[in-house]
Amino acid sequence: MIKFSGVSLLYPQARRTVLDSLTCEIAEGEMVLVMGHTGSGKSSLLRLVNGLVPHHTGGILAGEIIVDGLSTRTLRPGELAGIVGIVGQNPIDGFVADTVEEEIAFGMESLNFAPELMRKRVEEALDQVGLAHLRDRTIATLSGGEQQRVAIASALVMHPKVLLLDEPTSALDPIAAEEILALLHRLVHDLSITVIIAEHRLERVIGYVDRILLIEEDGKSHLGLPEEILTMSNLVPPIVKLARALHLPDIGTSTRDVRRATTQFRESLPDVAAPVRAFGAPTVVAENVTVQYQAKIALSNASLTLHSGEITALMGRNGAGKSSLIRSIVGVQKVSAGKISVNGKSISEYSSVERAQLIGYVPQEPGDLLFRTSVAQECVAADIESHLSPGTTLALLHENISAIDPQTHPRDLSEGQRLALVLSIVLASQPALLILDEPTRGLDYEAKERLAVYLRAIADDSATTVLIATHDVELVAELADRTIFLADGDKVADGSTIDVLLASPAFAPQVAKVMSPRRWLTVGDVLKSQQLSSE
Amino acid sequence: MWIFFIVLAIGVVASGNSLHALGAIFLAAVIVQFKGETGPWRRSFRWSLYAGLYLLAIRLFTSIVIGVPIPGTTIFTLPRLSLPSWLPGIRIGGPVTLERVSNSLQEAVIIAAVIALFGAANSVTSPHKLLRTLPAHVYQISVALTIATSIVPQFISSIARIREAQVLRNGLRPRLSSIAVPLLEESLTRSAHLAESMESRGYGLSRKRSKYRPFSFSIIDIYFLISAAIISSVMVLA
Repeated sequence: MIKFSGVSLLYPQARRTVLDSLTCEIAEGEMVLVMGHTGSGKSSLLRLVNGLVPHHTGGILAGEIIVDGLSTRTLRPGELAGIVGIVGQNPIDGFVADTVEEEIAFGMESLNFAPELMRKRVEEALDQVGLAHLRDRTIATLSGGEQQRVAIASALVMHPKVLLLDEPTSALDPIAAEEILALLHRLVHDLSITVIIAEHRLERVIGYVDRILLIEEDGKSHLGLPEEILTMSNLVPPIVKLARALHLPDIGTSTRDVRRATTQFRESLPDVAAPVRAFGAPTVVAENVTVQYQAKIALSNASLTLHSGEITALMGRNGAGKSSLIRSIVGVQKVSAGKISVNGKSISEYSSVERAQLIGYVPQEPGDLLFRTSVAQECVAADIESHLSPGTTLALLHENISAIDPQTHPRDLSEGQRLALVLSIVLASQPALLILDEPTRGLDYEAKERLAVYLRAIADDSATTVLIATHDVELVAELADRTIFLADGDKVADGSTIDVLLASPAFAPQVAKVMSPRRWLTVGDVLKSQQLSSE
Repeated sequence: MWIFFIVLAIGVVASGNSLHALGAIFLAAVIVQFKGETGPWRRSFRWSLYAGLYLLAIRLFTSIVIGVPIPGTTIFTLPRLSLPSWLPGIRIGGPVTLERVSNSLQEAVIIAAVIALFGAANSVTSPHKLLRTLPAHVYQISVALTIATSIVPQFISSIARIREAQVLRNGLRPRLSSIAVPLLEESLTRSAHLAESMESRGYGLSRKRSKYRPFSFSIIDIYFLISAAIISSVMVLA
């Protein structure tokens, strides 16, 4: 279906080769995962398949890509619209119409399809993705998972043979992600559509894919069965880490396989007592907080206490009230009822400058805080703002990641580096409370691990209270002491991470699924137990 | 529906009667209540009412304070400011007559009614639907306009988000430039994504475009048109 022959790609301004002589073939009805570090050219590879690279973005391309017998060299992306469908990283950015039906019909309108045919195809597409009941809705009012499905339907409506998806689950909660992947799985198996998917969160997709294309940082790439590729990669999901740590002969990609291979460990290893961490005094106390927007109750009667030195994860579907809760804690959202105090004083009594000193907030888009022309300038400005001795912020940044050139423009940083920069800026003034909103979106496993280690050190060394709103179950399992779960504005669970995550199968991390009913969340937990038994 | 409201608005202006104008606003409110679109445009009627009220207040204020004297019953007299001689014909203060106030109020009500009708039209039919009914040779422009207006809500929420993040960073009111830079970068990326998405869906490839659900006149539309014409002419003649 897709044939790459000797494909190399180079962007004139960039110093390195994105892809280096890639030769491979992808068959019809195959589901292929493209993996690699952040910025390794995963998106470029997807765009090569429908000709967006180089026709739209520029770049120097050697070799040839043949899709269903057509070469992308001479054809524009639009001419391939009937063969290749693409779903971008943020579907909302690519939407052109305001209602679901019109959005789905857009591509067909462009190609001058007859109205009757359009009606029929739109119906089909709506049914395929299960959106028929939302056809008249304004797209902006849909949830992330529903928007993702609209984007998939707009591609499916052209009856493509190839579907390309760029990080389709990174913005979704585990349940919505599962739904999207199940949908893709069905398309592959029922309609024999070839699906190529780029994703960082391997733990979510690994069970569905037939083969993996790994792109290394020097542009070299390998295509192979998941087991082969994962053996050689250093970006691996927890399930593979587990297999490696336990020295299993084979690494499996499904919970079932690894479960079978680990029976003896489940039966023989002793329980480990959970590490007891001592936390300090309460930093944030929220009592019966209700947040209401006109008729809609975003958060109802929620109470919580966050202690100093404690890392708390805030989970729940999109629209469950996470942002309302965070925004009320930082004091930008007026609460309709209840009260919130930080360090013993009501949040509304602080001036906005005092509040900024007290609370460090890392927004979902770290780039929102960056507007100067180099990393060094950002750091100097942060020193001045927080009245610190010159160089403090930069030193803090280098403590976290040493390999950042201070003269780089913030936009040229990778996602992980940008997050590190914003963290340093925010932490320079030593806030008592650090809040992160969805920090791991777009981070690869290595960057995520660095983040986890760093946050743990912050919480332990300076007794900072940390609150993380996230969909990333694995991060929560690694890092959080406590997990709060919101659903539809209500707090439905609040307890130690192990209790909360194990109570709900959808939110259980991979290791817990493999090792159930034993109470282990991470590879580290299992190893600790192994150590205990060998002593 | 748009035509209905436009005809109604013309009627209101032509009749120049504030009672008719109030009646038209009421009618528009009823229609919006029962036939309104769901979605972001629905609120436009309410906003247009606020705008109308605001306008009314300004008009009332200026008519009391500044104005040409219209003889009639004096309600009360404001102290009159003496203006330099090079500003003849303008008075500030002085006697306020009932006629003057009612006259300007009437004008204001009519203008407010036109605004409200326009808002109601937006509430009932989103401008996007209107654009779709346009003839084929302006269709390209209308597609561009549809896309441009779809982005406005996102644009506004981006500004709010960036502002909030920056206030939380240092507690100071962010400068314009500090919001503009991330916003510009985000908008550029976003438009690049949009262009990519349109390009890969075949936009601009064929010279002709077909229309999904082409607009056709239905019986209800004709009823509405006729009734609007009748109401308008009654207003003008009465």
